[in-house]
Amino acid sequence: MADHFAKIMTARLVAVVGDQASAVRRMQRYSAWTSVLAAGVIKMRCRRVNDIGKFLSPDSIGWDPGTFESVSMSPAPLAMQPTEYVRNSWQGKEYGAIRALHVAAVHDGRAWAIRAAGMSISPPHGDFPDAFAIALPVRGNPVLALMGSEEAPIHYLRWAANKDGVRSVLATGIGTSQPGPPMQCHAAAQKTHDQWQIVIKRPLNVGLPGARLTAGAKTGIGFAVWHGGNDERAGIKAFSIDWTELALEA
Amino acid sequence: MSKRQIAMVMDLNKCLGCQTCTVACKRLWTRRDGMAHMLWNTVNTQPGTGTPHDWESMGGGFRDERAQPGHRPSVGEFGKAWTFNHEEVAFGGNPDIPLRAEGGAPGKGANWDEDVGGGEYPNSHYFYLPRICNHCTHPACLAACPRKAIDKREADGIVLIDEDRCRGYRFCQEACPYKKIYYNDVEGVSQKCIFCFPRIDAGVTTACSRQCPGRVRFVGFLDDPNGPIYKLVTQYRIALPLHAEHGTQPNVYYVPPLSPPRIDADGNPTEEPRIPNEYLVSLFGPRVVEVLEKIKSERARVANGETSEMLDLLISRKWLDMFGPFTKHPREIAESPIRFYKNGVRT
Repeated sequence: MADHFAKIMTARLVAVVGDQASAVRRMQRYSAWTSVLAAGVIKMRCRRVNDIGKFLSPDSIGWDPGTFESVSMSPAPLAMQPTEYVRNSWQGKEYGAIRALHVAAVHDGRAWAIRAAGMSISPPHGDFPDAFAIALPVRGNPVLALMGSEEAPIHYLRWAANKDGVRSVLATGIGTSQPGPPMQCHAAAQKTHDQWQIVIKRPLNVGLPGARLTAGAKTGIGFAVWHGGNDERAGIKAFSIDWTELALEA
Repeated sequence: MSKRQIAMVMDLNKCLGCQTCTVACKRLWTRRDGMAHMLWNTVNTQPGTGTPHDWESMGGGFRDERAQPGHRPSVGEFGKAWTFNHEEVAFGGNPDIPLRAEGGAPGKGANWDEDVGGGEYPNSHYFYLPRICNHCTHPACLAACPRKAIDKREADGIVLIDEDRCRGYRFCQEACPYKKIYYNDVEGVSQKCIFCFPRIDAGVTTACSRQCPGRVRFVGFLDDPNGPIYKLVTQYRIALPLHAEHGTQPNVYYVPPLSPPRIDADGNPTEEPRIPNEYLVSLFGPRVVEVLEKIKSERARVANGETSEMLDLLISRKWLDMFGPFTKHPREIAESPIRFYKNGVRT
């Protein structure tokens, strides 16, 4: 998987920087980053529960801390940023500092909910909000770091601290996100000490172009976090690099 | 690269700083929620800090064709749209209450250093510098946007933000070296001068140029040999871009300002201009000295009874000659319920 991903990354970099040698050099700079991939696919079990209504708040008693999985997060590489301006202006600056997200998911056969924690809270009145997104593949085998492709889109649900609810977004590549299919979603966020705890609920089954979740089946899930207080927005974010396997109990 | 490029030339010798252009633009385009602080057209006193304050040191643009990091101006730096205590003054019942902006702590407005200028008496000096988006040939804003939300129209080179694609990331604000992009925090999108494209498309010149009482602004295509822009920029070579060193090829040009002679310690006029050439060079580049000499020599010729096509163009006796092909009256294209009558007959 890591080799496959490195090939795709290099191809993308050739398009950005113009020649194979420069692309390979840039890839080598991210050796630490790619080594994370070699660690293998992380798995996330989604328990089936009787009533998802008991899981709609981050502090609902249904959430069992023993089921929380830790997902590694990394800064989205500068070489992947789609414009020279973004790459130059963020050169040497730190971003995407979160190293792990703590997540758990449940479903009741009709709806699915995820709880995420570990995102630090920004001071108020910044230019950009703290934000969190989950990514689900719509079809095919999309590359998460490339935000999918025309043949294999990715469906995102994005929560932002300055807005109610979540935004449904469909992407077919970096910089291509557009409004996704309307969905009956619910979002709840709580500040605990200096961290956000967030719950997002969505229907299990949705029609295309939304990403469908099926009880008893496996899919992939990805994550992105923007720390608004650090001016993080667009591709300047932390992300989960590759899909985490999400297995929904039958 | 667009097929043709629309452009504007502003003759700084004629700008009187009345802000009619600013108001014309404000009334037409920036009245929606979230736009209160926006002045797509600004007129500032130079030397001065301009709008947003100290914009010339905020970075952006290109150096050696490499995109340069830039600062993202805040509403405070642009100059907040003040709220006044009109209700309290008019109806509060206390005749001693003064009119106050922002409760008496207004901060710096968009034009806060108006008429301050530079130099020491008797050599104090200033001129007015109107600015809009430069609709650059190589727009740094367009190149910076990760959403490809900014487009340069092929037909005329007008640079527009697609508000449906824009997500309010504001990289464009940082990248623009002229700091002429605003952010609407109600709509969550960046917004800027649109060169009045709906009017241009219908053959009507921009609101700022048409409303200008000083006949400062010329509008047309760069490549139209019969139009005023080509004549001023290419034929007579007396219109210069502002801060061309940013590498974006701006398409707003300026006829630089002449000034009276500098006065020496004995109170006598010298050969030096009151506005230092070095300052004008810092704005318009080294050719500004040659341009000022050319305008002076043409004036001298006319003063000696000769004619000057170049000065006739700058004087703009025929107002509509200033606008190239965009000479229609807005009334001709307006879908307005307002009807105009002359001697009882609808016009």
